[in-house]
Amino acid sequence: MADKQYTAVERIKLASDGLRGSLAASLTDELTGAIREDDQSLIKFHGMYQQDDRDRREERSEKKLEWLYSFMIRLRLPGGFMTGEQWLGMHHIAGEHATEVIKITTRQTIQLHGILKSHIKPTLRSFDTLKLDSIAACGDVNRNVTCSSHPMESAVHQQVFEYADKISLMALPKTRSYYENWLDKEPLLNKEEEIDPLYQDRYLPRKFKISIAIPPNNDVDVFSNDVALIAIVENNELKGFNIAAGGGLGTTHGSTVTYPRLATVLGFCDTEEKVLKAVYEIITIQRDHGDRTDRKQARLKYTIDRMGVENFKKELELRCGFQLEAPRPFEFTERIDHFGWNIGANGKWHYTAFVETGRVTDDKRASFKTAFYEIASTGKANFRFTANQNVIVSDVDEAEKSLIHEILARYGVIGVTEQSREMRKNAIACVAFNTCPLALAEAQRYLPTLITKLEPILEKHRVIDDAISIRMTGCPNGCGRPTLSEIGLIGTGYGKYNMHLGGDRNGLRLNRKYKENLEEPEILAVLDQLIGHYSVEREQGESFGDYVIRKNIV
Amino acid sequence: MIPETKLHILQQLINTSSKEEIIWIHGYLNGLVSGQGTNGTSEIKKAVKKISILYGTETGNSKKLALQFTAAAKQHSLMAKCTAVEQYRNEDLTKEENLFIIISTQGEGEPPETAKKFYDYIHQSQTQLPNLKYSILALGDSSYPLFCKTGEDVDAQLQRLGATRILPVQNCDVDYEQPAETWFNRVFGLYATEQSQQAVVPQQTTKNGEAKKHVKKNIEGVITRSVNLNDKDSTRRTWHIEIRADEDLDYDAGDSIAIIPSNRHEVVERIIELGKADPNEYVQLSKSAGTIRDLLTNKLNICYLLGSAVKKYATVSGHEIPDIRMDLVDLLRIYPLKDETPFSEVLGLLHPIAPRLYSVSSSAKAEPREVHITVGLNGFLKQDEQHYGLCSSFLGDLPVGTPITFYVHRNRSFKLPDATRDIIMVGPGTGIAPFRAFLQERDVEAASGRNWLFFGERNFTSDFFYQTEIQQYHETGVLQRVNVAFSRDTEKKIYVQHKMKEHGKALFEWLENGAVFYVAGSKVPMSHEVEETLLGIISEHGRKSEDAAKEYLDHLKKEGRYQKDVY
Ligand code: SRM
Ligand SMILES: Cc1cc2nc3c(=O)[nH]c(=O)nc-3n(C[C@H](O)[C@H](O)[C@H](O)COP(=O)(O)OP(=O)(O)OC[C@H]3O[C@@H](n4cnc5c(N)ncnc54)[C@H](O)[C@@H]3O)c2cc1C
Ligand SMILES: Cc1cc2nc3c(=O)[nH]c(=O)nc-3n(C[C@H](O)[C@H](O)[C@H](O)COP(=O)(O)O)c2cc1C
Ligand code: SF4
Repeated sequence: MADKQYTAVERIKLASDGLRGSLAASLTDELTGAIREDDQSLIKFHGMYQQDDRDRREERSEKKLEWLYSFMIRLRLPGGFMTGEQWLGMHHIAGEHATEVIKITTRQTIQLHGILKSHIKPTLRSFDTLKLDSIAACGDVNRNVTCSSHPMESAVHQQVFEYADKISLMALPKTRSYYENWLDKEPLLNKEEEIDPLYQDRYLPRKFKISIAIPPNNDVDVFSNDVALIAIVENNELKGFNIAAGGGLGTTHGSTVTYPRLATVLGFCDTEEKVLKAVYEIITIQRDHGDRTDRKQARLKYTIDRMGVENFKKELELRCGFQLEAPRPFEFTERIDHFGWNIGANGKWHYTAFVETGRVTDDKRASFKTAFYEIASTGKANFRFTANQNVIVSDVDEAEKSLIHEILARYGVIGVTEQSREMRKNAIACVAFNTCPLALAEAQRYLPTLITKLEPILEKHRVIDDAISIRMTGCPNGCGRPTLSEIGLIGTGYGKYNMHLGGDRNGLRLNRKYKENLEEPEILAVLDQLIGHYSVEREQGESFGDYVIRKNIV
Repeated sequence: MIPETKLHILQQLINTSSKEEIIWIHGYLNGLVSGQGTNGTSEIKKAVKKISILYGTETGNSKKLALQFTAAAKQHSLMAKCTAVEQYRNEDLTKEENLFIIISTQGEGEPPETAKKFYDYIHQSQTQLPNLKYSILALGDSSYPLFCKTGEDVDAQLQRLGATRILPVQNCDVDYEQPAETWFNRVFGLYATEQSQQAVVPQQTTKNGEAKKHVKKNIEGVITRSVNLNDKDSTRRTWHIEIRADEDLDYDAGDSIAIIPSNRHEVVERIIELGKADPNEYVQLSKSAGTIRDLLTNKLNICYLLGSAVKKYATVSGHEIPDIRMDLVDLLRIYPLKDETPFSEVLGLLHPIAPRLYSVSSSAKAEPREVHITVGLNGFLKQDEQHYGLCSSFLGDLPVGTPITFYVHRNRSFKLPDATRDIIMVGPGTGIAPFRAFLQERDVEAASGRNWLFFGERNFTSDFFYQTEIQQYHETGVLQRVNVAFSRDTEKKIYVQHKMKEHGKALFEWLENGAVFYVAGSKVPMSHEVEETLLGIISEHGRKSEDAAKEYLDHLKKEGRYQKDVY
């Protein structure tokens, strides 16, 4: 494609000198809390987004103050694992440089919000001392690699989990700019070492996501990723992975050429070498064939549909130099976090705490942040994050279990986890207002209230113990994977949502749009009616999602 | 017989004259009558060829008059030497024979900053000045409690040192042109030789319409906008206030407007209660008249009374009161009046409410009928209790639509240079105000000179006054350089002077290039630290000794290239 057709972002990447751009100058500009426009695209590759407090725009303009710019920093945390020591560090960083709140994301990592320009370097330096980084947590590169989070799930969990790290490292950009710009490390004398055979100087046309699931639990929503690896385990042995490609959920209102898509299973690989190679080459195909002229058509899902799945597979096998075996059978029967205490295959105990919308903080009801801080201080536990935005206090010895339990109980974590009802515990909401620049409607600040209003309805229809999955996002980008839920609410304007119905409960079937631009009263009325019917007409063990499909409601 | 008025003047003259003076006047008048000089006058005529003129100024009026006076004196074939008081060698007083001092009053009856050394010197000196003949032209503003205090103080001290007052102190209100000219003429009258008898000062000042500018004219405006520039979590409160009049306003960037605040309603009511006064009783005072409530609300100062007023209260109330300043309400509370004492006696000892000045932060060239000010809430502790200044809180509370009266206070020594010159502006806090006016003006006039602004406050996110405007001036090339310092964002506090030092090399280059250096905002400690730093920069980058640097700075002052608007 001729250069002139390339999107602005493509030109910025090419001209960025290894993602350095004019960051240095942007940081020293005293007049503004923002950074230069081009650099705003580049910092994403370093794990950051420039944002502003959208609640405060008008008031600040009136005061002749610029918008309240700040930065969101997202950690690279393959498989969502963190030591207690690292959590302690995060706790302090969140207080010193960010909004206090530690946000668990739908991709098993942590985001800190509200970091002022002058605090970016200190924040990243502190990360570095904790052996943490935010490289490639965002941007047109491979993002945080997710992996079924619960150690109790399988004897091979550790083995599989390590793949997340290996893949993440394999697909890490080679540029040293992160270290130079943020950690003030000396530039390399020999630039040769920066040559990047995978990303070259173009990087990818768009974000790229990889996930690994261990059946029977699809807690990571593996099929929503560009590359989905399904661990094949036979009598407690890891045999290899089924490899799927082309998942992605983002759409644009009113645009028919954008659509959500589940990853297509291409085949099976046994050895680690082959698995990594296959993943690597899928990335190179996307690098070479992805559409760089239109960001709304640039994801792998569109590349695959343009090439055709068969051609794509041929091209992949050509680049790999080996054939993919026929996919092995697998079954997903759940997509949940097992709340409460569970013992893992490794004999250690794990407590999965329900963190509503993934916001770890202290409030009237409970003090999650203090609880986790005290637990981390004991040095007797690790932390794992789930793709449902929850926290697993992990790897606790039998002997320490009661100590940890006491802390969890004292600060109300156990209370919240046990008293919250099924729908709430399985719900997901994206961030949306006040930080997300793309938000059209509220999500994380609103879904909890909406559920509180739904619960009496569920009670009334005696389905309150039914884990109907409800997910809400502030726009159709799909950060809370709403198109993979039984009830998806997708923001269209302030206080307005499209309602999607008919997803299954395990993340294998996309839902469909049922009604547009509903406001709260209509949402409640519609659901009251549908759930009312469902409660009487459902078949043995039939989920709400399956019910609306059988009844052709959508 | 002569008319009342003239008689009055004569009596005044006599009352304020020493014995010797009266004798001298007697002789002088004699001489005039008999057409030939008396001993008195002939004495002066013979003796005098040289006169010295000293001026002490803050905002340039005294200087302007001193220069006019000097020019006129030359026309009267007098050898007149005009010196700025800060340049004057105090020891030379003993050598002076004919000294004329033009000096203004600042602060609460204090001398201009430039005159402090001289002022303190004559207060402390014990060296008698028997040969010194002098007269004083005192500039002031009758809306202040201590009208022309400095002139009178200087006069008193010279008396103490045995100098001879050859004309009584001439006090001038804000419309100083006429009284000043009268004083000039009376001086020349004393030295009049036959040929120059009739000559008087050329009326230049009134000709070119300049004089009109100095008439203290109250202007009625309406507040059209009032925003607190600080964001909600700030430790400060600073209002940007826009006032609109229905006439074109006559002020220049660098001037201030004077506003007389009203006293707080609840305090006034408490005073009336404690003083057992009838709020509606109509009272006639020397300077003002009205009902007690009206006088206490709009005319008389009841806050932090001057020591002199407290003393008078002690007498009125018959209490022993230590020599301190106090609010009237506290006086009434702690030292109650006797039942028989009429409250009007208390009113009698109160000074008028003093005007507060606010540097205009807009340019009349940009919006002829508007004037903007930037008002910082003045906070202070009283018995470790947070209190707020009268006028700043008064202004901050005024809602949009409120009518407001003000008058323009000129500042001749804080002005933009010609459009081609570079300027360096150091204006932390509300010091930004005059520079916003400067920038507006340089923008509308598309001035070619470069502009460099230093701003400082506490926190970047909440206290960056006029941030979006400054950004725009920067982007559109009106501001070539901007440096900001936010003291509470870092462990080690950073202030504007640190930023100046950091960019000292460039700053000195600008100065060498002829740039004018301005500083506005708090006098202490800010303006002093800025001056320290400036001296440091001059000696470091100009490779000069401390003294040489001081000289360099004095030179800038003389050239009008170092100007202050500090308070
Ligand atoms: C934090 C998170 C939601 C949450 O509440 O957890 C999130 C938050 C944002 N996403 Fe997302 N996305 C998050 C998971 C997802 C997912 C779910 C997933 O990956 O499992 C999706 C759908 C799957 C997919 O990628 O298709 C998703 C699809 C998007 C899109 C649409 C991409 C597309 O192909 O159309 C955007 C917008 C874009 O990229 O142009 C986006 C953009 C954003 C941004 C960065 C808005 C922006 O571009 O400025 C949001 C930042 C809001 C804020 O203030 O924090 N986010 N985003 C999730 C962080 C994941 C992580 O740790 O990396
Ligand atoms: C040339 C010039 C330009 C100026 N420009 C500006 C400007 O642009 N913006 C701006 O905000 N200000 C400016 N000022 C300052 C302004 O004029 C006022 O001095 C300021 O607003 C404080 O006035 P106030 O009536 O609020 O405080 P006041 O009531 O006058 O109190 C001032 C101080 O007096 C003391 N005090 C008062 N009452 C008591 C008491 N009861 N007990 C103990 N101590 C007491 C306290 O120290 C207090 O801080 C300027 C001043 C000058 C001379
Ligand atoms: C801050 C300030 C305080 C003043 N205080 C007094 C005062 O106490 N008594 C007085 O008579 N005049 C006072 N004035 C009025 C000035 O003396 C008057 O404006 C004079 O013309 C200034 O002359 P200059 O420009 O030579 O300084 C004050 C002026 C200012 C700016
Ligand atoms: S779904 Fe939309 S609103 Fe929600 S976080 Fe993602 S981009 Fe923002």
